[in-house]
Parts: sequence; structure tokens; C-alpha cells
Amino acid sequence: MKRPGRYAAGAAVAGVPLALAVLGPFFVGEPGARAASFTPGGGHWLGTDFVGRDVLDQVLLGGRPVVLVALAATALAYLVALPVGLVSALTHRRWLEETLMRPLDVLLAVPSLLMLLLVAAAFPPGAVGLALLVALVSVPDAARIVRAAAAEAASRPAVEALRMQGESWWRLAVGYVGRSILRTLAADAGIRLTGALYLVATAAFLGIGVAPDASDWAVMVDRNRAGLFIQPWAVVVPALLIVALTMGSNLLVDAAMEHRAPAGRTPRDRVRSEPAPRAPVPPRKGRRP
Amino acid sequence: MSGLRSWIARRLLLGVAQTVAVVLLVFVLTEALPGDAAVAFAGDQPDPERIAAVREAMGLDRPAHIRLGEWVGGLLHGDFGTSLASGRPVSGFLADGFGPTVLLATVTVLLLVPVGVGLGVLAARREGRFTDRLISSATLGVYAVPEFALGVLLVTVFALRLGWFPPTAVGYGTDLLAHPAALVLPVLVLLARPVCSLSRLVRAGMIDALAAPYTAHAQRYGIPGFRVRYAHALPNALAPATQQLARTVDWLLCGVVVVEALFVIPGLGTVLMNAVADRDIPVVQGLAVVFGLATVVLNLGADLVTHRLAPRSGVAA
Repeated sequence: MKRPGRYAAGAAVAGVPLALAVLGPFFVGEPGARAASFTPGGGHWLGTDFVGRDVLDQVLLGGRPVVLVALAATALAYLVALPVGLVSALTHRRWLEETLMRPLDVLLAVPSLLMLLLVAAAFPPGAVGLALLVALVSVPDAARIVRAAAAEAASRPAVEALRMQGESWWRLAVGYVGRSILRTLAADAGIRLTGALYLVATAAFLGIGVAPDASDWAVMVDRNRAGLFIQPWAVVVPALLIVALTMGSNLLVDAAMEHRAPAGRTPRDRVRSEPAPRAPVPPRKGRRP
Repeated sequence: MSGLRSWIARRLLLGVAQTVAVVLLVFVLTEALPGDAAVAFAGDQPDPERIAAVREAMGLDRPAHIRLGEWVGGLLHGDFGTSLASGRPVSGFLADGFGPTVLLATVTVLLLVPVGVGLGVLAARREGRFTDRLISSATLGVYAVPEFALGVLLVTVFALRLGWFPPTAVGYGTDLLAHPAALVLPVLVLLARPVCSLSRLVRAGMIDALAAPYTAHAQRYGIPGFRVRYAHALPNALAPATQQLARTVDWLLCGVVVVEALFVIPGLGTVLMNAVADRDIPVVQGLAVVFGLATVVLNLGADLVTHRLAPRSGVAA
């Protein structure tokens, strides 16, 4: 497939769930009286759910929390990963680099969902807590990418020249290195977002960070499973929307990656499918990674 | 050889460090943070008497480092503590859930490697043609889809519409091997994501390896194509993929929790979810340590294998 075609495919698949998530809540009617649970039809296009609410209304409402929490988590992760990665790539003090990056290696050793469950067992989180947790889980990978990209940019002759000219650290780090790794980071943010969507939806399905009757596609899938035999729409529609959302966003991210380096497969291809090298393999300063 | 030995020593050391870190992290996340397990356990009925009783039972009135010491000491002897909810030893819970989970994981990994590698090699050999495009788009699409959504859709189609497989494993107990039909859908769902990532990596590695000078050289020597592909190119293509295999352990653990919840399989994931719902901190801790250790050990193993396959790639540590 040609590149425009790939963008189109991704946009087409992700478009419907995204539009529903953004615009859906504006089209929800007045919450009428609750009907019997799991009835197909009867004035409800998609029937009713496990407590007798209109499934269509729930579908219109349920996309926003998934997308919002995932977006917030990605933004938060980068808020931490960006300074940590930049500082550890640009500092000349080994101990600083080690103290910044080593704890992240430890976080990597714990499976991400397990981390969520661990914290959820002690302190049941809300939506904000869930976003924080997902961000925490995404920080190590993001920080590694930032550092690897920044270390590469920092080893260029231009940085040497700027340094000898006596430019300030800030100017160097943000003005040059930060700017030149922007595209890499944009692509990586896309990967983090697909990962965050996956984790947020899975956590909600397992009942973490959501109310038991929340209007949320993943919660709908979980709670309406009991009526799968009599009223499958209450499960199938939100499940399809989640599949389309994650699938489409992954296609979009991949098309964007290809865009970065048009020569067929890219070196990032590997970074992309393999979110992080297992153990610390640092591209040392002054050497190309 | 001494280089190899010191590399292995360093890698083992990293593994030990990660193990210690996991144990510490589990303790800190569940106990040392503000608020405590007793309050969390009392939860919906914050009855001061009950909280005090739990606190005493768990020894929460003593300083954190002493509790940590005792807990770690117990772990070293295989003593995971006792459940708050039922008073049973945690190791009993582990033993209960062990069978189904290990069965699921084993079947999945046994199928994952041939299917993932096979698809990857197939796509690489047909690079740019229809088969490759089909495999590449399909794996890219399914890659990011959460297991529960995929699973529910598969259940709807194959269990409800077509009636080929049972929708859940309810009623089969822990002996799933005797009911292979109940295993098909769970394993399929568990396989979906890892197969995608593995085959994409094998494809990329295989294309690189087939285009490398040494492959052309081997062909000039007249070595049969089959041998060039599978004895020379494939091991190099597998090196990055083996590391990814370790990464998929993470996904398998996530997947196992979700799949067991979805198909009602009484494995470790179900035990974990029940413990989380009951806020039964000791059980959660025990399971977290077991899962964390499994991750560390499997990653260690994968790194050692990767090193064996492509010694110059200089993996880790």
C-alpha cells in the first residue's frame, strides 16, 4: 500500500470510534426511565444493558473516558520522560545519568498490568489515578527513547560548535537537541498512546479505576457479558469500537513512522515493535547508538 | 571465553538486582505507602475495631523495615504469609491456580514460536508481494487490540453463532487438558498479540539477513537455498526476536489475567483478581512476587539465548 493509502486506511478504521468518543456525548438524549435489563429492541435501537439503560446512549457516552484517560496518561508520561531523558543524555556526570535511568530499568522488570493491579489492591484509584498509573508504566520506555534520540543528536558536530561558542545549556538542550528529536518523539508518542489505550481499556475491563456501572466501552463489555446470549449488541458494539480504535490508531502510527524515513523499512521499525531493549544498553555519549 | 563468562556473570548479577528490586517494589507499593493494608482491607466498613484487629494480625504496628525483613525471610523459606480474607496460607492459593495457568502459558508459547517464526519467514520470502502484504497488514492491525475485546468477539462468533467451542471453561474444573475444546479460544486470544509482534520482527530480521553479504556469499559457494535460509540467515534473524519473546512474557502475564477473567478459568490470574477485589494484600503480594520472578527469569533466559544466537550483537549488561 502507498503511504496516503495507509493513512486513509488507519483514519477510516479509527475515525468512527474517535468521532463517537469526541462528539457522542453531545447526541445523548435525556436518560429515560430504566427499562428491563437485556431486552433487545423495544424503542431502543441497540436494546438495553444489564441495568436497563439504553445501549446506544451508553455507546455514545462510553468512548470519551477511554480516549481521555489514555491521552492524559501519554501526556503525563512525556512530561516526566522528556526532562529525564534529555538530562541523562546531555549530562556529563555518570552518577546523575545512572540515578535517573537505573530506577526505570527496575520498573521495566514488573509487568505493566501487574503494577496496576498491585496499586489498585491497596488504593482503588479513580480515573485520575488510572491515568497516573498508566503514565508511570509508560515512563521507562518513553525515557529510553528520548535518551537514545537525544544522545544521537548530542553527538553531532553542531552541538560541539554550539558548546564551543559558549551557548547556554538550556539553548543547547531545548533549542537544538530538543528540536531535532521532535519527529522521533512525535512518532514514539503515538506508540505510547496505542499502548495507553490498550492498558486503559484492559484495566477498565478488569474493573480498575472505574465505577462498576460507568459509561465506558470496556466496562460495558465486562458488565454486559452476562447477557451475551440474549442481547449480544450490548457487548459486541463496544467491543468492535475498541478493536477499531486500537487497530486504527496503530495503523496511523505505523504510517507516520514510515513517513519519517521513506526508504522502506526504517531503523525505528525495530524500536517500534520492540518497545524497549531489555537491559541497559546505553548509547554512550559521543558514539552513535 | 573469559569475555563470555564475564558477560554471563554481569547478566546474572543484573537478574539478581532485578529480583531484589521487584520484591522491594511489591512491598513498597502495597505496604509502605501512606494509608495501610488494614484500612484498605476494612474498606467499605471502616470499623475501627476491625481495622485494629487486622493491623495486629498483620503486625502493621511495627516499623516497616522489620516487617520487610520478616516478609523477605519468609519468602526465602517459601513462606508467602497467610491470606487476610480466609486465613489460608498464600502458598495454598498459588498451588491451586498454578496448573491451569502453566498449562495455558505452555500451550501458548509452544504454538507461538512456530507460528510466529513461520509467518515471519513466509512474509520475508514473499517480500512486497500479496502474501507479505496480507500478513504484514493483519499482524499490524491485531498487534494493538486488547485481548478482552478480541476474545469477546471470538466468543460471540465461534461459541454463540457457530457453536464450535464452549464460551467459557465453567464446569471443567482445573483439569483443562481433558477438555481441549475449552482451550481453543483462550489460547487463540492469548496468541494474537505475541504472534503479531514476533512475526513482524522475524520478517524484518529475515529480510536483513537475506540481503546481507554473507548470504550472497554462501549462495555463490553453491550451498543449497534451504540451508542458507534456515541454517545461516534464520539464527541471525532470530536474535532480535528472542528478546521480543521475553517482552511477550509481560504480555502473556497481562493476557493470562484477562483471558482467565474472560473465560472463567480458575488459574493464578483469577486468584489475583479475586485477591485484588477482596483487597487481600498478602495474596496479592505473593502472586506479584511469583509473576515478577517469572518475568525476570524468562528475560534472563532470553538474553542468554540471544547471546548464543548472535554473540556479536552484545546484548545487555
